Amino acid sequence: MKSSLTFHKVVVGILVLYLLIPLIGTFLFSIAGKWDHTILPENYTMKWYIELFQDERFYDAFKRTLFLIVMSVGLSVVIMLPTIFIISVYFSKWERLLQAAAMLPYGIPPIVGAVGLIKLYSGGPIPIAGTPWILIGAYFITILPFMYQGIRNSLHTVNAVQLVDAAELLGATKFQAFRTVVFPNIISGILVSTLLSVALLFSEFALANLLVGGRFETLQIYLADKLNSSGHLTSAIVITYYSVILLLTGTVLKLTFRKDKGPIMSDKKRILSFFKKIFRQKNTALEGEN
Amino acid sequence: MSYVTIDQVTKSYDNQVVLENISLTLKKGEFATLLGQSGCGKSTLLRSIAGLEGVNVGSILIDGKDITNLSPRQREVGMVFQSYALFPNMNVFDNIAYGLKMKKVKNIKSRVNKMIELVDLIGKEESYPHQLSGGQQQRVALARALVMEPKVLLLDEPLSALDAKIRKSLQKELKRIQKELDITTIFVTHDQEEAMTMSDRIFVMNKGKVVQSGAPSEIYTTPANTFVAKFIGNYNVYSMEVFHKLVRSSELKGDEVAIRPEVLQLVSPGEDCPDLQENWGIKGVIKDVTMTGNVLRYEVEADDSYFHVDYLHHRGLMFEQGSRVQIIVPKKECIVL
Ligand SMILES: Nc1ncnc2c1ncn2[C@@H]1O[C@H](COP(=O)(O)OP(=O)(O)OP(=O)(O)O)[C@@H](O)[C@H]1O
Ligand SMILES: [Mg+2]
Repeated sequence: MKSSLTFHKVVVGILVLYLLIPLIGTFLFSIAGKWDHTILPENYTMKWYIELFQDERFYDAFKRTLFLIVMSVGLSVVIMLPTIFIISVYFSKWERLLQAAAMLPYGIPPIVGAVGLIKLYSGGPIPIAGTPWILIGAYFITILPFMYQGIRNSLHTVNAVQLVDAAELLGATKFQAFRTVVFPNIISGILVSTLLSVALLFSEFALANLLVGGRFETLQIYLADKLNSSGHLTSAIVITYYSVILLLTGTVLKLTFRKDKGPIMSDKKRILSFFKKIFRQKNTALEGEN
Repeated sequence: MSYVTIDQVTKSYDNQVVLENISLTLKKGEFATLLGQSGCGKSTLLRSIAGLEGVNVGSILIDGKDITNLSPRQREVGMVFQSYALFPNMNVFDNIAYGLKMKKVKNIKSRVNKMIELVDLIGKEESYPHQLSGGQQQRVALARALVMEPKVLLLDEPLSALDAKIRKSLQKELKRIQKELDITTIFVTHDQEEAMTMSDRIFVMNKGKVVQSGAPSEIYTTPANTFVAKFIGNYNVYSMEVFHKLVRSSELKGDEVAIRPEVLQLVSPGEDCPDLQENWGIKGVIKDVTMTGNVLRYEVEADDSYFHVDYLHHRGLMFEQGSRVQIIVPKKECIVL
């Protein structure tokens, strides 16, 4: 019993090490000065980070990526939430159709999709090929399966149909019912799929490169470009970007598991305090920089 | 003067008829029960009254007003769902206050507090649904519906998720609250005992139709057909042909005979059958004895037919399995269907 436990621990330990070594290597490289014939770097420097954080292009790329993500994820929530709600509550017959449609993007490789999109949108009534708008559209489709599953599962878990029935009998309109008894109960579930989508889009390269490329330089394209000039700098970018993803996934995990523990708060309070916490972290990070 | 009228309501899903030409009326303050097997359309009828389902044909009137085409929020009907459907993001107080807030009425606080007192939940105002027991959740759901002072209260198997003991006490409490507020109530259950103890009137449903209605004792002692006889009282039911053979007499006329298990008596074969003028005697063998607390149930085989005979469990076991007996059937207790 005990020996098998140590065995498990060893296996997990090796696995973690295996996964962490490239990351640790990258991190070391990003703060290394001279590092050619020693095991560990001979000296350390922050100059790659300083260079990175002083590069206007990095900030611009970051901003562009953020813009794309906020637009496509925001659009997805605004469009999919009411759609899925209405379909699953009032037109349950159509649910299968919606599900099939939402799963389609899984079946199309990004390259094939991109070529098709460029062909379709380079002329015709909506000539948006090469602009960020086509990328927002493509991203909307990319995250559709996640958003669909997340929202649908949340609605089913809280038994939204019955909650709406109950609220309507108590005098609420359908919209009031959605706002007061459905939305507050599914918001954390939606937040999880939203954050997952954000993490996914952060590292998206294929579509961005094919659809807009250098005309609208996203973080990933910037990274690919820098790969040719300095390895140290790219490592710094990767580490920065990795920290952001880590923060996001950490948040997702926390939101997913928070149900069982902790004092009971209403969802509103919980999310408020969650944002406060993030804000505080950001503040301390900023203070650290100054 | 009827307060609730359901007039020839028919409803079907796709091609399946779920409610077939249902008509029933209720007096104000009456406690009515829809009783029937799973899938017979009880919930569908209740949801149609609440406006959560539309009907294909027919009309529904409450207090003289036709509500057939009104939305649920305009019907002034309260409902408690089988799974309660409490709002998980609100505490007990806010759950109960929800309807009043939607209606934007005054003195919400005092009305809610009065309701909390009525359903005996004082001290739980700040608790969230997941912190409550099943019985407490059920009472919140009840209070949430009652605080709106609905004209009709609909209860869809509100007690079925609870264990037997809590169920009994909540049955009493529900009945007390219903009498106290004098609220017209339609209660759904598939438990005939529950229906018997609680109702002023029972509507027995089968396959989307109301097959019999009446006071509990009326339904119990004079079932209108085989289905009701079997479902309500565990009646022994025989075709007339078989029954004639069993009693060696063709005195009764009709299709079927139903006999309640508690009117039958068992005697040893040697003993004389009491008063052959009033009774029939049938020879048989005890096949099985089961004990359900205070009732002993003998299963007796006679000529390939089976009789259930119930005795109160005060004299202990009278006959062992396998012993020969004579079943005494009082003639006037045989119900011809
Ligand atoms: N939305 C629906 N679509 C199609 N058929 C339905 C729907 N809702 C109910 N039915 C059918 O209608 C019939 C009656 O259902 P209902 O829920 O009224 O039964 P019930 O008497 O309440 O049963 P139970 O005691 O199990 O709750 C069932 O045969 C069911 O399959
Ligand atoms: Mg039902």
